[in-house]
Amino acid sequence: MAKLELVAVKTRILTPDDDILDALEEYAKDKIGPGDVVSVAESVVAITQGRIIRPEELNPGFWACLLSRFFSTKGSLSNPAGMQAAMNLEGQWRIVAAFFIGMLCKLVGIKGVFYRLGGQQAPLIDDVTGTMPPFDKHIVYGPSDPQGVAEAIKKRLGCFGAAVADVNDLKRALIVGITDGVNEQELREILIDNPFGNASQKTPIVIVKNYADAVAKVQAKATV
Amino acid sequence: MGILSILLVLFIVAVVAVWLYIVNQGNAELDFMLDQRTDFKLEEMSFNRAVFSCNVPFVNKGKQDGIIMDCFPRHQLPQEQFDAVELASRIELENKRRLDGYFESVIIPTKTGNSLIVTLIFTAKTGDIRQALAGMVDMSVDIIYQVYALSKWYIAKPRMVVKASEFTQALSTGVSEV
Repeated sequence: MAKLELVAVKTRILTPDDDILDALEEYAKDKIGPGDVVSVAESVVAITQGRIIRPEELNPGFWACLLSRFFSTKGSLSNPAGMQAAMNLEGQWRIVAAFFIGMLCKLVGIKGVFYRLGGQQAPLIDDVTGTMPPFDKHIVYGPSDPQGVAEAIKKRLGCFGAAVADVNDLKRALIVGITDGVNEQELREILIDNPFGNASQKTPIVIVKNYADAVAKVQAKATV
Repeated sequence: MGILSILLVLFIVAVVAVWLYIVNQGNAELDFMLDQRTDFKLEEMSFNRAVFSCNVPFVNKGKQDGIIMDCFPRHQLPQEQFDAVELASRIELENKRRLDGYFESVIIPTKTGNSLIVTLIFTAKTGDIRQALAGMVDMSVDIIYQVYALSKWYIAKPRMVVKASEFTQALSTGVSEV
């Protein structure tokens, strides 16, 4: 039986002028089999959707300037522009409310409340330097309708499943869109070592080869 | 009235506490040490073209990491002052050199630094670059950089002055070994 294998697919720099489905077809179609799962980097999906903005185009308000001071400087919300970008997407008062509720919860030891209440986009925003040139000078939002994108990939390429994933070298793997039949937790573990590589490697597509076979094997073992 | 007074005092205390927190938190503070730059050295030489470069160290003296989002040179050599050459310039990070003139935004962690390489490319309008540069004048080069940190982004443009004698000296020394 074929082994589970990860194949990173190199592309040119994809831009807002590209269609992610066309790009997948162009670069990966001949590598994809019916038992494979295709995963795509969420930032690249977002870029092809035109979901980028330059900090110069944002005018951070009082709340963005204030709240950004209370986030880790390693994160994307620690700059007024990054925070304003989140507010523009999710609503200023939603973010403000999420911040104060999150802060109160943190005081009693409950973490992560801000990101649960602040909307799906808050943790997905990539700040300046977070993406490859020429988008290193942009704030990149999370993708729009990642679930729909995953389903469209599966339909277009005839693969077993598809996912839109946010993975980094800090052992963080977040699945933001995934098709039925693919286990989110399993896929997170498969992608945890960031097979997408760093930005300069230009491999925004990772094919999980023989995923369906591997799942069938595990299920068969479980029933024996 | 008593409750209102208490609320007012609490509000003022909260404002002061936040202000102190922000002041204590600090920000990135990038310092381009132009007074510590190296002299220009000759990097490449052909009959009609000479390429000079120098290193400019910089440091983030602030309490927080900062991002240099963009950085580029603006040379000030108007034809009214000196008309024998065409001049192009570029800036690169010393540890990440690239020839495309693009400056990839870079995080400068607090209390660390790096070095810029400023390159000036002179092309003689007619004939020999040595002859063209014989009448060279002192010139200025602005280093324009955009900082993105905990405050709103800003642009600064410190200026360095390059003496004509630096080019003369570099030409007489010849192409430097890298």
